[in-house]
Amino acid sequence: MRIVIIGSGIAGITFAEKMHTLNQGAEITVLTKETDGYYSRPILSHGFSKQDIEQSIIMKTFAQLEQNGIHIISGTEVTAIDRKQRTLTISGGDDVVATLNYDQLILAQGSAAFIPPPFLTYRNQFYVFNSLTDLKLLRKFRHSVREHNKSLSWAIIGGGLIGCELASDLNAAGDQVTIFHAMDRLMERQLVAEDSLNLLKHFQSCGVNILLDQAVQSFEHQGDKVSVLIKDTAENKGYDAVIVSCGFKPRTELAEDAGLETSRGIRVNNFLQTNDENIYALGDVAQLPDEKIYAFIMPIRSQALWLAAYLNGDITEPWSPPVFNPKAKVHGFTAEHPYIF
Amino acid sequence: MSNFNKYQCSVCDHIYDEALGDPDSGIEPGTLWEDILEYWVCPECGAEKSAFVLMP
Repeated sequence: MRIVIIGSGIAGITFAEKMHTLNQGAEITVLTKETDGYYSRPILSHGFSKQDIEQSIIMKTFAQLEQNGIHIISGTEVTAIDRKQRTLTISGGDDVVATLNYDQLILAQGSAAFIPPPFLTYRNQFYVFNSLTDLKLLRKFRHSVREHNKSLSWAIIGGGLIGCELASDLNAAGDQVTIFHAMDRLMERQLVAEDSLNLLKHFQSCGVNILLDQAVQSFEHQGDKVSVLIKDTAENKGYDAVIVSCGFKPRTELAEDAGLETSRGIRVNNFLQTNDENIYALGDVAQLPDEKIYAFIMPIRSQALWLAAYLNGDITEPWSPPVFNPKAKVHGFTAEHPYIF
Repeated sequence: MSNFNKYQCSVCDHIYDEALGDPDSGIEPGTLWEDILEYWVCPECGAEKSAFVLMP
């Protein structure tokens, strides 16, 4: 039995490790674009207040996973799935392979940063914050500015969960931060109105500048500063850098090209199975029949452990979401009400 | 000065503080790390006990 997993995040690796412990005879291969190792994405949110993050974020190196019986082909991209032949076309990577067979395929590519289409024209004027690669770029930039003057000023576009975590961490690291949020309250998808207000007050007391109801139009480089241009206003303050944090976009392209059913994510049934019986999807690329995409670690780990046990024949009941209480990593802030999910 | 330690989850950064315990999972305040059963998991992300590291 050859199980191939695409993606080396929490979803893919938790599944691979569990599958290996349940069935030592299964041949498990993980294909990944990453080259740094297996890391936990939520830890990125503390990426500026922690000094040794580039090393400490790595939970296991790919070499360690190999030793544990999981074959990793890193720095590689899957470009096509041939569902009839059950083969994948892959490019790049350490192994010089053009195609790879699978008996069962697990899609766990996760999600990319969502960039609102109007911003695409200005793509070289801002950063995004979605991966260790993004974090390293940001840290490098931050370091280079700090070498020359004192503190940095950032504009963060988006006051959702990630935008708020990022603002909090940059603030904790000693930088000036302004959040431009399109809505009338922060984290409106996760918090009740009262907690949004508490969060706003918390940020204000820490010196984070919050601008609500902002229709950001574009960005403009002037010397080594960037301006954020707002509809109907001539705000012309320059920032050292802009980070666009407007949500996530499941990586559905490969599945879509292969004729799998997709919506916002890859459509799966309650057994995490796509419309191809040999292909499963989990994590924040998968969209369940309840229309939800489970993007928090607790349910993603639960999906991974469930899927391994299910494919091993240990359980027959469908996956059901565990009880979980997501929590934003905003330094010093605790919501009074449970998060909405 | 207390002798309680703190342990941090390497998956989600959740901190287990021995002084506070984890009352929601039935772990009383003051419970030492070695006294927590092996099947206890991180209350925030579900990671196993072995994913935690002692904080400096």
